[in-house]
Amino acid sequence: MASIATQYRAKRVYEITSPEGRRQLRLSDRIVELGEREFDWYQKVAAWLPSVRGVADLSRELGMDEAKVPKFIDALEKSGLLYRVDDGPNTMTGVEFHARFSSVLNSWLSEAFAHPFWDRMMSGKGSARLFTGWLIELYHYTKNANRHMPLSCAHAHEKPIKQLRAKHYAEEWNHYHYFMKSLKELGFTEPQIAESVPLPMTLALSNFMRQAARQDILAYSICSAVLEGTTTDRKTYNPYYEKSAELYGIPKSAVTPIYQHLDLDVQYQHSDLFLDIMQHVPEMSAERASTVLDYGHQLVEHIWLWTDNIEKYYQVESNPVPRRSFDVGLD
Amino acid sequence: MLTASSPRGADAPASKDLPLLRRSATVAQHDGQVVIRHLRQEITLEGAGAELFTRMESHLDGRTAIEAIAGKLADKPARLRALLEQLDEAGVLAFLSARDDVALMSGMEFYQLHREHCQQWLEPVYNHPLWEKIVSGQASRAQVLGFAFEKYHYIEAAFEHMGIAAANATPEMMPHLARHFIEEYTHGDIYRKGLRSLFPDDVILRSQPLPSTRALVNYLNESAQRSSFAYYSGNELLQMTENTGEEGAGRAVDDFYAAMRKHYPYTDKLIDSFIAHTRADQNLGHTDAFLLMCKSVPPLTRREVNDALNVAKNMAEHLLLFMDGIDTFYAKFATVPRPPCDPLSE
Repeated sequence: MASIATQYRAKRVYEITSPEGRRQLRLSDRIVELGEREFDWYQKVAAWLPSVRGVADLSRELGMDEAKVPKFIDALEKSGLLYRVDDGPNTMTGVEFHARFSSVLNSWLSEAFAHPFWDRMMSGKGSARLFTGWLIELYHYTKNANRHMPLSCAHAHEKPIKQLRAKHYAEEWNHYHYFMKSLKELGFTEPQIAESVPLPMTLALSNFMRQAARQDILAYSICSAVLEGTTTDRKTYNPYYEKSAELYGIPKSAVTPIYQHLDLDVQYQHSDLFLDIMQHVPEMSAERASTVLDYGHQLVEHIWLWTDNIEKYYQVESNPVPRRSFDVGLD
Repeated sequence: MLTASSPRGADAPASKDLPLLRRSATVAQHDGQVVIRHLRQEITLEGAGAELFTRMESHLDGRTAIEAIAGKLADKPARLRALLEQLDEAGVLAFLSARDDVALMSGMEFYQLHREHCQQWLEPVYNHPLWEKIVSGQASRAQVLGFAFEKYHYIEAAFEHMGIAAANATPEMMPHLARHFIEEYTHGDIYRKGLRSLFPDDVILRSQPLPSTRALVNYLNESAQRSSFAYYSGNELLQMTENTGEEGAGRAVDDFYAAMRKHYPYTDKLIDSFIAHTRADQNLGHTDAFLLMCKSVPPLTRREVNDALNVAKNMAEHLLLFMDGIDTFYAKFATVPRPPCDPLSE
């Protein structure tokens, strides 16, 4: 009985809503509906699985006969909320892996962009200052591609993958100029922006990409694919820029270069690059697939916290914009 | 006149013509007095001094020579210079220098300057609301356990950044960085022991840090690879937050743990591990490590000083992010420990 805890794990739940006394748990492929009591039990099981407590403890907590606990866990597995560790494949091809990635990408992106910052900006509760801050950090993030894209080429071993990564870099390396153009339209000078300091989470994004590049080219590539997934078509980004321009008096000339950049990404079909790379991977162990997936999801969490960092810094009126580096002679 | 080893910036007599009110200085005026504050320095001007400062304040931009300011104010340059040199001595004003490559200060002078700035940069970390939430029992179970896990991940990462630092060390820094790695690499196990009272070992080992913790570790890693001295300048800021056994700070930490035990009894063993780690650090005498390093480095140029202080400042921001990540992320996403993905988990 004690080994039940090691046999099962909880699936990722992307959202929990509570319509009319029920709980709806959104997984990547389904919505599971639970009553309040079952939801409470589910939460207790999910917290118990990775703990050192025995089944007797769980049975007491659930107020359920110990003999009935395995049956309840089995029911949770059938509903899709839990899965058996042993049910996973031992190996898969790169293309099979890509299919799994594609099936969760939308859930991942909804998680990445679930930060309240977006609703705030779209509802008119944001500000031109927040819009500008986001743009400055996008400038740094795009410029910092030069810190990780070439590193990924250096650490790639298979010729075709090296080639694809290098081509991507060649197409992307100078895209930060688009954001510089936008920021100049907002009244900043080039040295003000070029010499400014990114927020810690902006730097963290490129440092994480560097970490991925050193560890595994596929780990790097899935992160890159998540980022490219945010710009696959205009429908996903136009409303934000159009609404912000309207609400916060952002001149059209400051938004135009951003559209030019996004259109270029679509034109290059960078969102197809991950599949092109995975076609060169004949087999992946379950362990490698897990590592690569984990990098992708960590990048999703980075985006969420990046947004949080931007909102918290730029909403404070007294914080300098752009951020200056420290100088012993000046500070 | 400032000398080449002055910790306050300018390095040649010629540069004493371009006065700059330090960007982080604040100026307050009331009842005819002018109060200028910078770090812990405070200077109060009264009467003619206050009046003269008020007139010339907008020209103290590091680009306007004293002669030119005097011309604009129709005043005597010598009178302006006398006041400006006093403000320079008080540390609220600097004379701008364009030269980055000459020795600006000794390692020991840097040590003093570093401590002064770091204490200020650490203030937002000490004032972070997460401390109060834990002490008052308002923090959730996920935030409290998350705090323990993230501390574990950070300490365990000594393998990464201290290893990288030792492997990329300059000759004079190598013995310090090697010793530090050897003394620290087992400390993650102290925290793991505490976590094992609640979670199986393999769950702890497989668990994922928050992006904000990863950000702190990666920043240490990247700095360690790039510059031994700048890395340790940043690492020293982190060391300054450790309980050194000094009475006042020690009591505050004891109170924190007592409140945590009271509100979250299940963290008893975790807190034991926190305390065990503090004692292990105290026994190693890490408080002297940076002092010894500063004694052993050659004089530092302005560029080196700026680099090392920028790393320390960024480290403080990353540490604030570390605290903020625990507070914000675990409040929104309450899963703890954080399991890694596998092909079925998503």
